[in-house]
Order: sequence, then C-alpha cells, then structure tokens
Amino acid sequence: MSKSTFLYVTYIRTTADKLWDALTKTEFVKQYWFNMHQDSDWREGSSWEMKNSKGEVWDSGKILESHPPRKLVISWHHEHDEPARSEPNSRMTYLIETAGPLVKLTVSHESDVENSTLIGKVSGGWPMILSSLKSFLETGQPLPDPRKAA
Amino acid sequence: MARLTTESTIYVTYIATTPEKCWEAITTSAFTKLYFFGRSIEADWKVGAEIVYRTPGGKVDVQGKILECDPPRFVRFTWHVEMIPELKHLPDSIVSYRIERAGEGVIRFTMTEEHPAPLDERLLEGGRSGWPLILSGLKSVLETGKMFKADPPGPPPAMLEYFKELRK
Repeated sequence: MSKSTFLYVTYIRTTADKLWDALTKTEFVKQYWFNMHQDSDWREGSSWEMKNSKGEVWDSGKILESHPPRKLVISWHHEHDEPARSEPNSRMTYLIETAGPLVKLTVSHESDVENSTLIGKVSGGWPMILSSLKSFLETGQPLPDPRKAA
Repeated sequence: MARLTTESTIYVTYIATTPEKCWEAITTSAFTKLYFFGRSIEADWKVGAEIVYRTPGGKVDVQGKILECDPPRFVRFTWHVEMIPELKHLPDSIVSYRIERAGEGVIRFTMTEEHPAPLDERLLEGGRSGWPLILSGLKSVLETGKMFKADPPGPPPAMLEYFKELRK
C-alpha cells in the first residue's frame, strides 16, 4: 500500500485511441501541458523525460507497463527541485476505459514516501493538466494557463 | 469490521468560463438537467433556505439546507439522500461548490463533500464515483454547450456490500 496517493478521474468525449495519442504524442502534449512535454517511445523498459520548452528535464523515469490504448504505468522521479528530488521513484498510472459515448481516464500517482512532497506538488498540477487535456480533446482548444493572472 | 471515517472527498476542475456562468450552471435546472443525471435543482439561494435535487420523474433525490451562500463564488449546504432507502438513516453530509478565477477566462471549480459525522468509509465510494462524472459533464456543458449524455453509475461494489450487511 502506497503512503501517498493522488487519484483523479475525468470523463472525456473522445475515443480511447485519440486519448492515448493525446497523452503520448509530443506534438499533442505540447499543446495542452502548459509549456511542458514528454519524450519517450512509450515501450516497456524505455525511459521517458518531462521537459520544459527550453529542453530542461523536470522529471524522468522508465516505462513499466504499456498497453496502448488502455494502460500505461511509469516510474517517475522528480529532477528539478528539492526536497522532491531526493525522494525515491514514484509510480504513475493512466487507465483508459470506454464508458458509453465517453472515455473514462483514471490517473493515479503513488509514492512510498509518507507525506511525499512530490505527490503534494502533482496533486495541484494534475487537475489543471487533465482539465486542459479534456478541453483540448472536446473543443480543440487547451486551457489558458490557470497560474497566469488575467 | 467497517472502518468509520470523516474524510472529505474533493474534486477540482478548471473550466473555460466566467464565475457568473458557472454559478448559473450549478443553480438553475436548465443546466443541472444536462449534466446532473437529469436532476433539477430547487432553492432560494439564501442562508437557511431549503435545497432539493429532484429526479426527472419528480422524486426528491437529495434534500438539504443552505449554510453559506455568496454568489457567484461559494455555496455550502447540507446533503441528505432521500431516494435510496439504505442511505436515509445516515447523518447529513455537507457539500460545497467554490468558484475562483484562475487565469484568463478560466475558473477553478472545487467540490467538497464533508462528513462531519463519522461514516462507513465504503459509503464514500458513491460520491467518489459519481462526482467525477457529474463535474466532467459540468465542464463539457459550459465549454461546448452540448449535452453530456451519461447514465448515473449504479452503486459501486463497496456500497452494495454495505447494503447487504445492512439487510442482515
């Protein structure tokens, strides 16, 4: 049982294939992930990196399970700021299920660290990113960055 | 033995809309019918007033009392399930909706379901499975104007187990 967990469910009017592409293809990720993007071939055993627009690495890890377009499990290590950088690997899972005309996306991000700083940080970030992803898939437009004052 | 909890369920979503439009979407039946499993909403939006969510067939699903109300930013009310016989004996939960500006043309919407009186933790699964569907629909309705056709999920397995024990 993980010590710190973030769990989020969103329903999106799209298909499992389109959602998988939106989560894994760099050209899509760049559009809704607020200037961050991920690089990987998303095969089991491969590495992945989360980079900002300048190419600086913020997070990295390995692909633990990959079952397109249904499930992805990756290890996740934060590289940028302490104290999250000193924490051992966390695990992040995307689960994609068809729910009638909708697709249910479940994101869980877990760490064996009690009161994990990383899980605390991503708990604020995931709802923004997944809201922007849903807008992008349903309207073609991602959200403006909620952290930037109007 | 069932574990009791007072843990809250919190759901946050960001929506490309204004606080006023979001307030309208949570307080008027024309909107709630689109995303809240066909429920209409009845309330005089003042502290102390009664609030009712009603099914398309006219049955009272949820009934409560408004504890705090600050349009178009915040409303907090007691939540008592009337329609599911196995839940009628439960103490009130408290639900609140908070609307905050978050960037240009975006709002942060926070739903909090509080449980002031300790509750069998399996019962929390009802809200945890229902709210994401309802609030995903709220976002879709506000951003696309389109109806979000979704049937209410049945009671989750943990809740069915609770019902079974109750009948013993």
